[in-house]
Amino acid sequence: MSVRRSIGLLENDCTACLICVRECPSQCMEIDRHTEQVSQGRRPKTVHILDAFNIDFALCMFCGLCIDVCPTDALQWSDLGGLAAHQREGLISDSADLVLRGRD
Amino acid sequence: MGSSSVAYRVSSDPEIRVHVSELACCALEVGSAVTRGLLEPDAAHHEPSRIDVMLISGTVTHLLAPLVTAQWQALSEPKLAFAVGACASSGGPYWDAPTVLNAMTEFIPVSGFIAGCPPSPESIVESIRLLVTQS
Repeated sequence: MSVRRSIGLLENDCTACLICVRECPSQCMEIDRHTEQVSQGRRPKTVHILDAFNIDFALCMFCGLCIDVCPTDALQWSDLGGLAAHQREGLISDSADLVLRGRD
Repeated sequence: MGSSSVAYRVSSDPEIRVHVSELACCALEVGSAVTRGLLEPDAAHHEPSRIDVMLISGTVTHLLAPLVTAQWQALSEPKLAFAVGACASSGGPYWDAPTVLNAMTEFIPVSGFIAGCPPSPESIVESIRLLVTQS
């Protein structure tokens, strides 16, 4: 049984709204995004497209506030065993590393 | 503090001797690893150690950095220093505090960073074995 869990990302559900980034108390999250015009429906609208999503696990305190505030539930608790690296930068995880593990 | 005389051995690989710089709450997780039998107190019946590992477990303040450095210098080679948890790796939630050191790397050649706030006893011991194997 894993009592302590890590943070996982469902990349397709992320709208790059930056709420998690703003709420993070240790400022360990970073999002790159750009805007695109889509013209579905009667008038065109602007949407954010996610380019990159990084969590610095050397800074993260696993409080789960980002998971609480995520409006689309793109961030969820995930099983990730011991995470260790020889360099501090090795603990920075991108969206490929953040893929959800151990979902019920 | 900063000059703990108690050493431990990794139960699953007793040739790794572990020294702990007990600075903050991560040290309690190391203590918990001892209670769970993942680490055992260094004793006379153990074989000579292959490597000495020092765990920097907790928030390092500017005031404490010299003590941690002294503890590191007192260890004999071969030795490795690992930062346990967010504080020791990057300053963690206190990275912005004027009294807190964001990295011990300017004093000690830290060669391992273990994520968590705090990491669980299992992941501390798992990471020690992994980092020692890869070093």
